[in-house]
Amino acid sequence: MTLTGMKKHVGVLEQAGLVTTQKIGRVRTCSLGLRRLEEEAAWIERYRQLWDARFDALDTVVEELKRQDRIGARKKRERGYP
Amino acid sequence: MKNSTSVERRSERELVVSRTFNAPARLVFEAWTKPELLKRWWVPKSFGMSFVACELDVRIGGGYRFEFGHEASKPMAFFGRYLEVTPPSRLVWTNDESVDGSVTTVTFEDRGGTTLVVMHELYPSKEALDATLAGMEGGMPETFAQLDELLVTLGGSG
Repeated sequence: MTLTGMKKHVGVLEQAGLVTTQKIGRVRTCSLGLRRLEEEAAWIERYRQLWDARFDALDTVVEELKRQDRIGARKKRERGYP
Repeated sequence: MKNSTSVERRSERELVVSRTFNAPARLVFEAWTKPELLKRWWVPKSFGMSFVACELDVRIGGGYRFEFGHEASKPMAFFGRYLEVTPPSRLVWTNDESVDGSVTTVTFEDRGGTTLVVMHELYPSKEALDATLAGMEGGMPETFAQLDELLVTLGGSG
């Protein structure tokens, strides 16, 4: 790989927050930015838990609507509606 | 059996939350668009909070406003406008409580008795999405739940 190619690759990783680089003189040192990745995974998991709790409650509401819907349909039939 | 909720960061500015519900799309849509129904699930008990206000004017250009909080604390307000309303398959709204608010698109895909709900949030910038996620850190639901537990413990021992 050419030096220019390498620079491009590192640049992409750096933008994504996966590595951090520091240039001292002619030497650029790269280090893994793993902590950020783990942190983001933890944030996303918290967000998932929030929506999971919400959607569990939505499940309950939707089940109730389903039951009412069935009763409604039965009553209609009993009254002779199509 | 409980369906699972997934969250994916699709790009720097997009978050996608999805879940399947065991009901036809029109019923799931109804639960997202009637205030008396939405109130019952948007802030579930486990959040330790309750609604102070829940107003929805579900039509294009119509506004919504949610206010909820934890007992004595000042309620948090969330508000915006509906950009698209297509029953029973699609809702788009803005989140105007902050300049970093997303535009939220929810699609309800009827799959013959079950419905796939996909909620897509598009943030104005990468930083705005990062800030929302970081806001989950020490997030309010757990904090309040813990506070409740603490109060019970304190009350019980007193």
